[in-house]
Parts: sequence; C-alpha cells; structure tokens
Amino acid sequence: METYSLPPKPKNSLYKKLKMIIITLLVIALYVWTFVSIDIDWGRAIERAANNFQRVIPKLFSPDWTATGEVALSMLETVFIAFAGSLMAAILAVPLAFLAAHNMMGGKIFSTIGKWILSAVRAFPDLILAILFVVAVGPNAFAGVLAIAIGSTGMLGKMFSEIIESIDMEVVQAMEANGANKIQILFYAVMPQIIPEFLSFAIYRFEVDIRASSILGIVGAGGIGTMIIFASNNRNWNEMGTILLAIIIVVTIIDFASSRIRNKIV
Amino acid sequence: MIEFKDVSLVYPNGTEGLKKINTTIKDGEFVVIVGLSGAGKSTFIRSINRLVTPTSGSLQVDGEDILNYRSGNLRKLRTKVGMIFQNYNLVKRSNVLKNVLAGRLGHTGTLRSILNLYKKEDISLAYESLKRVNIDEKIYNRADELSGGQQQRVSIARVLTQKPKYILADEPVASLDPPTSHQVMTYLKKINKEDNITTIVNLHFIDMAMEYADRIIGMRAGEVVFDGPVSEVSEKTFEEIYGRSIREDDLRGGADES
Repeated sequence: METYSLPPKPKNSLYKKLKMIIITLLVIALYVWTFVSIDIDWGRAIERAANNFQRVIPKLFSPDWTATGEVALSMLETVFIAFAGSLMAAILAVPLAFLAAHNMMGGKIFSTIGKWILSAVRAFPDLILAILFVVAVGPNAFAGVLAIAIGSTGMLGKMFSEIIESIDMEVVQAMEANGANKIQILFYAVMPQIIPEFLSFAIYRFEVDIRASSILGIVGAGGIGTMIIFASNNRNWNEMGTILLAIIIVVTIIDFASSRIRNKIV
Repeated sequence: MIEFKDVSLVYPNGTEGLKKINTTIKDGEFVVIVGLSGAGKSTFIRSINRLVTPTSGSLQVDGEDILNYRSGNLRKLRTKVGMIFQNYNLVKRSNVLKNVLAGRLGHTGTLRSILNLYKKEDISLAYESLKRVNIDEKIYNRADELSGGQQQRVSIARVLTQKPKYILADEPVASLDPPTSHQVMTYLKKINKEDNITTIVNLHFIDMAMEYADRIIGMRAGEVVFDGPVSEVSEKTFEEIYGRSIREDDLRGGADES
C-alpha cells in the first residue's frame, strides 16, 4: 500500500506568532498577579489544616445517627423548596422566553426587552435573592422557594428562548400556508417541537436547585442549610457528617433519576 | 383562475424576484414551472398564497386581487390554496394522523383544534386522504419514523384533507430518489385529474416536467421566458429557458422503474 505524506501546514506569519507569545505572557502575568495579591500564608494554612484534619475529619465520618430523623425532615424540606421553586420558575420562564425569542413576537424590540429582563434577573446570585426574600417574607421556607424561583427563571428563560429560536420555522410556515391562525400554529407547530426540551431543562434545573437550596438555610431561608450553620457554629462535626451524608445521597439519587427521565423524553 | 398582471417583486435587499409577470392559469390545469435555481420559481409560487408579497401589479385568485389581503382574508385564501414543500415540513414528533388533521386547521375553530375535538367527517376525511396516497397503515406512526417518500405522501394527504381548490408544490421531489420522485408526481397528477384541483409544481428536472405537465412555464432571472402546452416543448425550448445546453443532471431519470 502506498503511504501518503501530508502537504506542509501553512506557515504562521511572524505577526501571528508574536501575538500568540504576547497573549501567553499576559495570561501567565495575570495568574501570577492574582496569586501574589490574595496573599496566602501557606505555612499557616497547612498547619491549621493538619491540626483540624485530626480533629474534624474523623468526626465527619462517624455520623451522629440520633440526628437522622431531624436531618431527614429538613432534607425533605430542602427538596420541597427546590421542587416548588423550580416549578414556579419553569412556569414564569415560558412567557419571558417567548418574549425574548426573536422568531416569535415578530419584532426586534420585544426580543431585546425580553433578553434584557432575563439578563437582569440572572445577575442576582441565589444567596443575595435569599437574603432579600428573608427580609421581605421572613426567615422561612417560603423565602427559599421565592429565591430559587427567581434565580432559576433567569436561566430557564434564556434556555427556553434558545430552544424556541432553534425550532424548524418551515413547519410554522407550512401551517401558515394552510390557513392556521396564530394560536393554532402555537399548538400544532411550535409546542410539539419545544415541550420535550423544555421539560428536560426544567428537570435539569430542579437538579441544580436541590444543591442551591441546601445552602439557602445559611441565610435563614429554610431547608437543611439552617442545620449546617448550627452544626458548624456548635462545632458539632458528627451531626455535620449526618447532614453531608443526607445531601450526598439525595443529590445522587436525584441526579440519577433526572438523567434517566431526561433521556426518555428527548 | 389565477391571473398575474404586471406582477413584480423586489426584495428588501434590492434583488428582483419577479419582473412584470403576466400569465393566467385556468382551473384544472397542471402547470409545471421550470428554471434554474434563483430564476424566481419559488417566488412565483409563493406569491399565490402570499408567503411572499409582490411589490407591484395585481394578482387575482378567483377574480379577487389578493395583494392587499390582510390576516383574515389571507387565512381564507390559504385554506383554499394547499402547499407542498421540498422538505415535507411535517411536525416530526407528532404522529401521521395529527399531521394530516393539521390540514383542517383553517376550517376548524381555534378551541376545537386545540382540544383535538375534530368532527367525525374531518377524521374520516383525513383517513381517506391517507388511503388515497397509500400510507394509511402508518397512521399512528410518528412522522420522523417514515422515509422521505412516505413523508412527502403524508404531506400530500395533509393538503388533500385541506380540500383545496389549488395545490402549489415547491420542488416536491428535489430531496427524493428517482423512483420515489415519480411516485410522488404520479399521485399529484392523479389528484389533479380526479378532483380537478389546479396544480402548480416547481421542478428543475426536464424529463419530469415533460412527463407530467399539461403546460410548462419557463422562468429565467425573474421573467417568464416560455409559456405553452407541453406539446410545443422540445429540448431546444429548455436550452432557451436555461440559457445553456442541457446536461445530465437536468434529468431525473428512472421513469421506467416507477
């Protein structure tokens, strides 16, 4: 058999090479600068870690089983917060997504406004939202639900609008061509194309929200985070072990279930 | 009857899609429009159901100028003008029956169609349409489980269910292999004869145009450069329409296999 040798690669120009070198140097400088300026005292950090390792880690691995009931209840609350929050977000995100998708409302103005609203919503970190809602509705699970709902609406709205923008518009045109009105087109041409993806992203977001809602309690917005902050303040590492175990188990189960369900629908 | 009177269309970017088209298509005719890609065939066909809007002239369908139609009138026009596309344009995730019933949307109230409450006659019409193009055994399959030829037959059934007076077909066989192409064209021709539906088809294959058309309209650069019955057409005519000699890939072939 004949062997072929590849034709020579096109040579990079001097300008290109110079650009590459400068960019590489800049990136390295940036890293050096950041690490120098955070000013880590490595000696102290290692010493502390070594001490606490002895004290804390073994306790984390011998969970306090007497707390199981309490931990399970508050983990359940966490799941409920995530579920209610992501459900609310999935509903709120739909109209915003239609507004933001450039192929739906028939106008660049609407889609730009929609995209702005969604970016503005996304700009708030979950914890900040939680703090705001704790102030607004009091330190309870409802504050957590609202924080999750608003936090997820931004991301889901963006995802949904991208799904809407990716549909096959020729199908829409086919429906227009046989005399269907706007609402009929929505139900016959648009919805069959978007619903499976919408569900898939909503479930994925629920998965993310489980993790998010387990720390919301730190600022008093309900769920297992409240227990985390108490256990940590009281140096109760055994109970912290139980809490971590609960979070790991629940998150794993939900990740697994969610990816199974999502594979089924798309 | 469809009458083009001095119809021109200039796209926003300045391209002239149609230049002063004057032609009349009588009821029951089977017209094939030929021309190279970019000659304005699609623009011509899509003007008739106003998927594109000509910028001047008058275009009459059944004696009414459709160029100033707005949403209500437009939907009424479109319910009597069915359309078949090159890419079939079925909803891939819906089943065949639902796709075919979509042909009734223009005749069905919004609430009824959303709740899937079709009249018995509509459902039986949909089934009959599927039977006519021989695809009735796939009625509960999802559209994306069908082959290209089968999908195009479903889209013909969708148009039949619409009970149109006119059928427009924009390159209906361009994505199909030769035997399937002939099958699809045979169904279109049969429907044209049996139901007396005026049919206008865009094709770029010369042999298919000759085999199925009653009348051929040749287009080049947005203008009608030939218009006459198929008996007056020879290879010379196509060379004039295309502005070059005829090549192998201007022919679909496979007529014997169907």
